[in-house]
Amino acid sequence: MSEPTPTPGTRPVNPLLADEPGARRLLLGNEAIVRGALEAGVNLVACYPGTPSSEVPDTFRRIGGGGRYRLEYSVNEKVAMEVGAGAALAGALTLVTMKHVGVNVAADPLLTMTYTGLPGGLVLLSADDPGCHASQNEQDNRTYARFAGMPCFEPATAQEAKDMTRDALLLARELEQPVLLRTTTRVNHLRGAVEFGPLGQPASIVPFERNPRRFVPVPAVARVRHAELVKHLGMAREKAEHSPWNTVRGEGRFGVIASGISRAYLSDALHETGWADRVKVLDLGMTWPLPEDLLTDFLSQCDAVLVLEELEPLLENDVRALVQRTNLPVAVSGKGGALTIYGEYSTQTVTQALADLLGETARLPIACDPETALPVRPPNLCPGCSHRALYYAVRKVFGDDAVYSSDIGCYTLGLLPPLRMADFLFCMGSSVSAGSGFATASGKPTLAFIGDSTFFHSGITGLVNAVFNKHDLIVVVLDNGTTAMTGHQPNPGVVQEVLGNACVHLDIEAVVRGCGVADVVKVRPFNVKSTMKALAEMKERSGVRVIIAEEPCVLYARRTLKKPRNQVAYVAEQGPSVADCLEHLACPAFFRDDTGIHVDENLCGGCMVCLQVADTIKARKRSDA
Amino acid sequence: MSTPARIRIYLTGVGGQGTLTATTLLARTALDQGLEVTSGEIHGMAQRGGVVESTILLGGWKSPKIGHGEADLILGFEPLETLRGMTHLAAGGSVLSNTEPLPPVGVSTGREAYPEMERIRAKVEGCAAKSWFLPCRTLGLQAGSVQAGNSVLLGAACATGLLPFGPDALEAAIRIHLAPKLMDMNLRAVELGVRAVASAS
Repeated sequence: MSEPTPTPGTRPVNPLLADEPGARRLLLGNEAIVRGALEAGVNLVACYPGTPSSEVPDTFRRIGGGGRYRLEYSVNEKVAMEVGAGAALAGALTLVTMKHVGVNVAADPLLTMTYTGLPGGLVLLSADDPGCHASQNEQDNRTYARFAGMPCFEPATAQEAKDMTRDALLLARELEQPVLLRTTTRVNHLRGAVEFGPLGQPASIVPFERNPRRFVPVPAVARVRHAELVKHLGMAREKAEHSPWNTVRGEGRFGVIASGISRAYLSDALHETGWADRVKVLDLGMTWPLPEDLLTDFLSQCDAVLVLEELEPLLENDVRALVQRTNLPVAVSGKGGALTIYGEYSTQTVTQALADLLGETARLPIACDPETALPVRPPNLCPGCSHRALYYAVRKVFGDDAVYSSDIGCYTLGLLPPLRMADFLFCMGSSVSAGSGFATASGKPTLAFIGDSTFFHSGITGLVNAVFNKHDLIVVVLDNGTTAMTGHQPNPGVVQEVLGNACVHLDIEAVVRGCGVADVVKVRPFNVKSTMKALAEMKERSGVRVIIAEEPCVLYARRTLKKPRNQVAYVAEQGPSVADCLEHLACPAFFRDDTGIHVDENLCGGCMVCLQVADTIKARKRSDA
Repeated sequence: MSTPARIRIYLTGVGGQGTLTATTLLARTALDQGLEVTSGEIHGMAQRGGVVESTILLGGWKSPKIGHGEADLILGFEPLETLRGMTHLAAGGSVLSNTEPLPPVGVSTGREAYPEMERIRAKVEGCAAKSWFLPCRTLGLQAGSVQAGNSVLLGAACATGLLPFGPDALEAAIRIHLAPKLMDMNLRAVELGVRAVASAS
């Protein structure tokens, strides 16, 4: 986006909020989603951040909106879903955003709100992650469209991300039914030119009419509403049959049915191979309910069709069922060979599949040989990260005797050597409850590590359970004061000064004590000695014990709290303690050259933990401080 | 331009270097020149000092991804990552790379060895039709900051004649899209990149 030159005394309008139909701007897929929601007149946005969805709420937050919408960072996805559903019941046009695994958390309300319907209109953005770029699994949330009964849109370009978001919201309001906007990492994080439509005004609020026979799904109501849902899906199917997002192009007896980002790979593969005039293509952008008439018509014109979809063979199985039902003489192919159920597709895998369909030989690009044995560059805890300090102290006190139950956040990166502070992990909040179960069955000392945002997300429930069921474990709340991994979004643990007037800070210690934990200790991880002392004392006790390790995220301290660390560490004298420090702390600010081990001043976060580990490392003023 | 060339550019560097900002600047430059642009990046775990790969595809590509053997141009913001990214280079493709390493933690701790610059050069020269090596960090500092080293590489890329626009287009984009306080420094950086390419040929 080009930022307009600010005129003195005025605040420039963010380009995303400008009413300039026809303007073309380079937008991130997630920014395009924001613009689409604004064009539809979104009234309320609720979210829980998670890659690759986070830039959607963060963009809403950044541009402010001037009162056009209300934005909320909810404490977890179930809560976001319910806040959104309540708002849509009250008549607001609503967008709820989360990553794919978050939909599991939100699934309970989701699978019933499709029964009741939501008069204001609600779109759920599910940002899936084929390839597990930043996730613990690569589940295919198109399944939820079928499972819950939601119309589904799947954009493949930035322009479509904008336009489909708008259309999904408008459809949600028209049908009074929740609609799924399903993206994948490649779409969320691509950039492309987006031509703007009119901005319009925020949507009108649909007045709520009390109707317990619709909105209170006791069994007698639920039975009736399920039949209503089927009726609504029939109406949505009519929309899909005639949707401008479902189009047919090309000629020939070979057909390709493509959805999601596979459509981009197909487009490029056809251009590269020159086979565009040899296949007929059905592009599916509105992918659920299935436009069966359109599909039947397409299938009847083909001898063979190839189905392109990343992850599960959902569309393929539906097409096979349709072929069986209609008795059409068409061969269906899909998953198999390069088209795997796991991972992402690419232009090359699609080229190979096209070649197989057409009986051609694919001419795939020749690449130079990969280099072997290159040093790896795994993501790492930042220099000056308080998690490293805490983990160092835990390893010193507990070593390999204890078992480490990890959770979702930056601190998962503690799994790497030499810290090795993660033995297992399932999902957000699992550290406490899975740790409880592990401790019970193994009898081993167990430590659960959980961040502040994750604690509020779903750690509290596990903690209540641990107290209630008399579990035996140490929970370490790594309280760095922000949601660091996803980009410093607000959470209830953030200090009031940063939260401003819109939110209220909650004290973690008070919450922990409120959950019934009596054994609570607060430590500052940058003080290694006192942290180790607290850990050693706690090691001797039993029951549910909580350590709150309080130290702001180094990036957040610098950027948001404006607390620069003007001191840096330097190696005053080489020696075994310096080598030992590098070996066991593995701070990325350290480097080794012909003259010995040194600290890169530009990288040093100024935590001064290394000074407490090696006696010949000293502090000095940062050169530019 | 009547038939804009279809060009795929693969950019690779290290989290924290600012390569995604550089990618967006180059993509905006292309859009300002009226070209069709698709650009891609992978966030998340990669930002914590890991490898950061991004792409810019000009001339009508729909996919934001660049696979092995598909990049017409590689911009390596860190030499080890240039070497690792070489599998993406297309036959006949070209490479511009920074020569100044950011050692990964395994190298810092002495568990792994950073490849010799000679090995990196030999690999690049063996695979690429044309290649340029620049001390981006040094030139960036000369322009005003380490981060300006990214604009050095972009300026150099624009000066090679391999892109459908020249350094003037990049300079115009810097004037439009960058914060005023960063403008002069980045314009100086572009100029240093342009000169480095001119003196190499």
